[in-house]
Amino acid sequence: MPDIDVDAPGTIQLLMGNEAIARGALEGGIGFASSYPGTPASEILPAIAEVAKRMNIYAEWSVNEKVAMEAAAGASFAGIRSLVAMKANGLNVACDFLANLQMTGIGGGIALVVCDDPGSISSTNEQYTGIVGKWMGMPLLEPSSAQEAKDMTKWALDISEEVGLVCMVRSVTRVSHTRGNVKLGELPKNGKKAYFSDLWDMYKPKMSGFSAMGSALPRGWQHHLVHQKLAKVPEKFEASPFNWYVGPDKAELLIITTGSCWPYSLEAVKELKLEDKVGILKLGTTWPLPEKLVEKQLSRTRKILFVEEIEPFIEGSVMELVANLPSGSPHLTFYGKRSGHMKAYGDYDPVLVANVIASIMSVTYQPRDSKYGQKIEELAKVAPIRTMQFCPGCPYRAAFWTIKDALKVDGRDGFVTGDIGCYTLGNIGAGYFQVRTHSAMGSGAGVANGLGNLRQFGFNQPVLAMCGDSTFYHAAIPALINGIWNDSNFILIMMDNSTTAMTGHQPHPGTGTNVLGEPAKAIDMEALCRSLGARVEVCDPFDLKNTTSTLLELMAEGGGAKVLIIRRECELVRARKEKKAPYQMRIDTNKCIGEDCGCNRVCTRLFQCPGLAWDKEAGKAKIDEAICAGCGLCADICPQGAIIKERVS
Amino acid sequence: MEVKGSKELLEGVVDAGLCTFCGGCAGGCPYLLPYQGRIVLLDNCTLSEGQCYQYCPRTYTDLDAVSQKVFGVPFSKDEVGIVREIFLARSTDAEIHEKAQDGGTVTTLLSVALAEGVIDGAVETKMSDDKTPSGFIARNREELLQCAGDSYEPSPVLEALNHIPKESTEKLGVVGLPCHVTSVSKRKTYPPQNRVNINNVKLVIGLFCGWDLTNGFHQFLREKFDLSQVIKFDIPHHPAHTFDLYTKSGKESVELDEIKKFINPACSYCWDMTAELADISVGSGRAMFKGWNTVIIRSKAGAKLMDIARKKGALETQPIPIESLTNLKRVALKRKKKALGNIIAKTGDKKNLLYLGLPEDMVNKLLA
Repeated sequence: MPDIDVDAPGTIQLLMGNEAIARGALEGGIGFASSYPGTPASEILPAIAEVAKRMNIYAEWSVNEKVAMEAAAGASFAGIRSLVAMKANGLNVACDFLANLQMTGIGGGIALVVCDDPGSISSTNEQYTGIVGKWMGMPLLEPSSAQEAKDMTKWALDISEEVGLVCMVRSVTRVSHTRGNVKLGELPKNGKKAYFSDLWDMYKPKMSGFSAMGSALPRGWQHHLVHQKLAKVPEKFEASPFNWYVGPDKAELLIITTGSCWPYSLEAVKELKLEDKVGILKLGTTWPLPEKLVEKQLSRTRKILFVEEIEPFIEGSVMELVANLPSGSPHLTFYGKRSGHMKAYGDYDPVLVANVIASIMSVTYQPRDSKYGQKIEELAKVAPIRTMQFCPGCPYRAAFWTIKDALKVDGRDGFVTGDIGCYTLGNIGAGYFQVRTHSAMGSGAGVANGLGNLRQFGFNQPVLAMCGDSTFYHAAIPALINGIWNDSNFILIMMDNSTTAMTGHQPHPGTGTNVLGEPAKAIDMEALCRSLGARVEVCDPFDLKNTTSTLLELMAEGGGAKVLIIRRECELVRARKEKKAPYQMRIDTNKCIGEDCGCNRVCTRLFQCPGLAWDKEAGKAKIDEAICAGCGLCADICPQGAIIKERVS
Repeated sequence: MEVKGSKELLEGVVDAGLCTFCGGCAGGCPYLLPYQGRIVLLDNCTLSEGQCYQYCPRTYTDLDAVSQKVFGVPFSKDEVGIVREIFLARSTDAEIHEKAQDGGTVTTLLSVALAEGVIDGAVETKMSDDKTPSGFIARNREELLQCAGDSYEPSPVLEALNHIPKESTEKLGVVGLPCHVTSVSKRKTYPPQNRVNINNVKLVIGLFCGWDLTNGFHQFLREKFDLSQVIKFDIPHHPAHTFDLYTKSGKESVELDEIKKFINPACSYCWDMTAELADISVGSGRAMFKGWNTVIIRSKAGAKLMDIARKKGALETQPIPIESLTNLKRVALKRKKKALGNIIAKTGDKKNLLYLGLPEDMVNKLLA
């Protein structure tokens, strides 16, 4: 990662969107940064952490987004500017606190950066979080480039402190993970001092009799204060350089767009060669809507196309605005989600936008040669079907293998309620289709609670709730406590690979390190669970026999919630540390019986580690040495002992 | 025979209530294993033909073909199968008697076979501490003694045979119930692929069998008794009507009527009481000859071993009284008729006899 604290205002640096956000936070003078890993927001905190010591900033991975938000608010109450970063789902977790925080007011400016994932490229659902801005009364900024990501983050901190509200910057995958030229600004020189004073003097309601009660309590009647503060914002937005218009004076079609949809729209119009007919109003300040600006642009045209992903947010705001225009105003035709022109799910791209513009403008658009589809199908015949897989050597492959076997042997149609992490792949062939339910952080254990208390309705299927180590600290602990207290019959399987793997190997409360790479207290997971009064067992998933029989024993036991920690280090982390494979693997082709009765390719057909391959001509298995991690597990899967593992000295 | 795959095995045998849990299908591949009285299919191997199906005693068995292979003659019409010799026997070894179920004949014969190098190991049933039976290979006298005694539960003993590495040259003996013996005989008739060479099996000893106890029987016992203290189980023959457990401190009993509900329903389709395809078949001496075994020698290999045992004085023998033999044949025939009746009631078709590949005239005679 480039050093984002370089003190060279006016120079250009190539930065990832998230790095630019981090730089913007530095330029905005933060003293506190908190976050929880979540794609596509994960790079923001580490970029700040890298320079934290030099810049006198406190940075932490928090245990979840609610605590991250609360911790940042605490710093804010003491007059320190803070940045909180999270993915869309993290905002869901932080909402309860946020709703109250807006009512009480803040101290030092808070920039809340939320990174959405339209199209669920790396998420379990998709959301447009800008709506929360409207709901909670947060001024909302949406960057469309790395440059804007930086500038908006800085500005968010200023607005926030001036107005007394948390200010939200809403990014998306395509902006957070893009790389672009960013012109750097000034870094602040002032020192920071923290002191918790009675902020409430500044924000107390001007009502006699009530002042004595103190207004740290968020009361419903303080809601109007939020509106008062928010009313100061449109004026700033009307003049913002983040909103602009490109195109003809009078346009046949006006596109109103924001964020990553700005480059899509720009490219689409260029592709169709309609720059002289189609204008684009690009908004960077999307809530509250800068109505005067928008109204002015509307006068250029009679047709408006809204290009924004997932929710008709700007579409709705503009229609509200138009509904209130004086009667006799020219009739406008809207194209967007309501009209069915733009899909209300998934992410967009320039071709999709161009197709819609072409249909509205009645021009033909052929993005590719007509035989393209045919050519792809021909190619597809040659390319094998590849699905997502666990890394070679991943302990979760072994864990799911034992779970699959144990459930089959138990014979009562048991199943796994799933959660979020690498082990989410248990939903598909990689994890032998063992995971049957899936939603939010900690929901594996949550959902299991209900299933484990249906005995009176004749339910006797074993319920295996799954969570990862980081997920456990984030959200599953209350669900486990609920299961113990309410005597729910499930086994919480803790998939402990000693890291937060899926989002990039971040540390968590169990790993013994913090975001700065310093040693930190390591929470003892077993001791914690035992102290709750549950039976706790720990297994190494590579010991297939022991793990399977422990699972069988726990399932047969019945009774209330219990815990099985399946622990083995993530293979990528181990490989980075130890730098060599534990075993050299090879196939003894004399022993391999391939497709014969007695095997039929259990290693490549069922077990499916990508390090194993099938030699069709020879009719034997073989090791793909470029992929094999040398973990040795497959040697225990082969019924003929044909997979040989030799210790690497 | 038409060979099918594991899917058809599960559907046609296990789910159809015919499985005797002999273990003949298990242990030869990663997909089938025996667990607490059930055959579990871990994954679908997807093969359309499998040895699991081929060696199952409850898939179609051409008894003429099997008998030709095992004995060199067509399937016997005798109620108790081929009989070269039939007599009563018991061990002359006191230590064996202590452990034995009845006369200790099986353990003695195996002991002689090991000592003479006829076999290097015996595939038989051993009970765990809590008296769960499973397959085990006994290679010395001490281990043979550990296997003595009846568990009265189905035992997947053939899983142990399937686990033997295919390169092994160990000479083997196999001890089993009639269903185990049938499975081994099918193996002899249709030699295995990628398994231990069936010609390594030099001796098959079959036990007479009426029925065994399953479907919750073990749990029933476990809840009533501390099974780790049990030395021996016994169902003394008519006129007694108990299931007995012998411990160091004495004998406990359960009324036979109380455990009859645990009789394996699959046994009602079994028609082979005396293990007709074995080299030597061994049964209890019953109430009249308590502490003795009824022994039938059927093959050359069986006769040879018996000769050695006699010469060494390892077994004491006496002729079987004519009434006992007549009674044995009567009971065996009754059993065949009953089984046939149950099979036809299940299939609803006289021509569909499930696994029984009997010559038509034999079937007609039995049904008459």
